[in-house]
Amino acid sequence: MEYIVETHHLTKRFGKEIAVNALNLKIPRGEVYGFLGPNGAGKSTTLRMLLGLMRPTAGSIRIFGKDLKKERISILRNVGSLVESPSYYSHLTAYENLEAMRKILGSPKEKIDEVLDLVRLSNAADKKVKSFSLGMKQRLGIAMALLNDPKLLILDEPTNGLDPSGIIEMRNLIKRLPKEKDITVLISSHLLSEIDQVATYVGVISKGKLIFQDSIKAMRNKAQLKIRLKVSDANNAYRSLLAKGIKTHYQDHIIYLYEQSDEAVAAVVETLVDEGYSVYRVEEEHQSLEDIFLKMTAGGDDR
Amino acid sequence: MIMKLLATDFLKIKRKGLWFLTILGPLGVVLLQWVNYELVPGRREWLLQRSDDDWLFYLQNVNSFTPLALVLGITILTSLAASIENETNAWKQLIALPISKMGVFLSKFTVLAFLLAIASVLLFFFTWLLGIYLDLGAVIPYAQIATFSFYPYFASLPLLALHLWVATVSNNQGIPISLGVIGFLFTSYSFKLPDWLPWKWPSLQNQWDEPLVNVVLGICVGIILYIIGMLDFARRDVK
Ligand SMILES: Nc1ncnc2c1ncn2[C@@H]1O[C@H](COP(=O)(O)OP(=O)(O)OP(=O)(O)O)[C@@H](O)[C@H]1O
Ligand SMILES: [Mg+2]
Repeated sequence: MEYIVETHHLTKRFGKEIAVNALNLKIPRGEVYGFLGPNGAGKSTTLRMLLGLMRPTAGSIRIFGKDLKKERISILRNVGSLVESPSYYSHLTAYENLEAMRKILGSPKEKIDEVLDLVRLSNAADKKVKSFSLGMKQRLGIAMALLNDPKLLILDEPTNGLDPSGIIEMRNLIKRLPKEKDITVLISSHLLSEIDQVATYVGVISKGKLIFQDSIKAMRNKAQLKIRLKVSDANNAYRSLLAKGIKTHYQDHIIYLYEQSDEAVAAVVETLVDEGYSVYRVEEEHQSLEDIFLKMTAGGDDR
Repeated sequence: MIMKLLATDFLKIKRKGLWFLTILGPLGVVLLQWVNYELVPGRREWLLQRSDDDWLFYLQNVNSFTPLALVLGITILTSLAASIENETNAWKQLIALPISKMGVFLSKFTVLAFLLAIASVLLFFFTWLLGIYLDLGAVIPYAQIATFSFYPYFASLPLLALHLWVATVSNNQGIPISLGVIGFLFTSYSFKLPDWLPWKWPSLQNQWDEPLVNVVLGICVGIILYIIGMLDFARRDVK
């Protein structure tokens, strides 16, 4: 697989605090990579290092196969970014803001109208950004990030401050980019629901450590159905099932079944009743992605 | 690359009052002398009596305010320039562009040095025009007007480098402003300051009575402080 971004033991320390701890990110080309983690997990710090804004304490970064330390400028030529709250010059108009960036990037002038159109700000192009709503500022930030036709787009919580329709619009834009323009997108969020709807690949970070990294499909597979049984004298019931060759999982007076077909469940219940146990409840437990995410990020307290 | 950065920086200072200050500074310095000479009837005659060389005396009067205006101007211009980037932390957007951090610093310095140079040129013309208006004598000492207009500029370059450095790396803009206030007080009492303090240099005074010394010191120390500031700016993480 071709990786657009690859980090090796990427680490950032602020004083004693390790904000990012030995991260090995691998972002395949053409994916929307959701970078997921609770507040303070180290997402923004990681993205800042990818953009050369912060120097890693240790570890290395390769983007487009080039070493960021050595070829920062040539890499950044093909990267667009929006880190945390959007930055802009409030005394300038939207057009002037983009023009200020365009001059540095050397993109053609038409590009400004194109990106303004893309984020639907064409009508507000000549208004000072001071007067913009939060959502408009955010969209201007996206326009800035797209001005150089990037191959890698890095967005840090891009839906912050957007209203529901703005969020949907942003999602659709992000989903379109890889297909239409061959852009690889790295998008961070602390909300799984955000990532779930756009990402094709997921990295979960908690307390500075990467605790999961795979396709979103692999993550969904973890979110499987479980059958739980509540019975009398559960511990002994579990043992008698085991003696009959039926493997289950016992935890906190609950028996969980591995086999989930109707026949298997019926057989277990029959066996238990035969053995004289009372079956109180047979329930389905659906583990959502959210549950998995919460479990993942709750663990790993071993900083 | 530096030309692109400069074009961008000139675009960014639009509507921020930097150009206005550039004109206001020299105008203010010269207007103070107009007030000094003209506002009170008879004052002009009294001032002219006090010296043999009316032009030189007038230029010295002008120059008593030039260093103050320069220190004040440097403080305000650098704070304004830094505030443009600080307001929404545009540094993170700017530094993530394909440019070198040193280039960013150089561009800011160049823009401010340019504005101050414009102010000095304006000072030259305003001084000259008021001198003619005050009818200080038919022989106009152009060389001396130029000395009093441009030497303080070069002598204050270290202060520009210092202020730009402090303003760009401080999270708290109170720090560069405080530095400016202290600098302003120093400059007000520059005749009492030791020769080695940069805040004395724009006054063009020194123990040898040779203004050129201050110019050379200004350029040399200015370059050194500029390089230190630029390296420190490039070294730091962008928040
Ligand atoms: N400039 C800094 N100086 C000191 N500590 C910092 C700095 N930036 C971040 N940190 C610390 O690093 C840790 C990670 O912060 P970071 O901003 O990367 O988290 P995040 O995952 O982006 O969180 P959020 O979802 O709130 O944006 C935090 O504990 C934070 O306090
Ligand atoms: Mg963050």
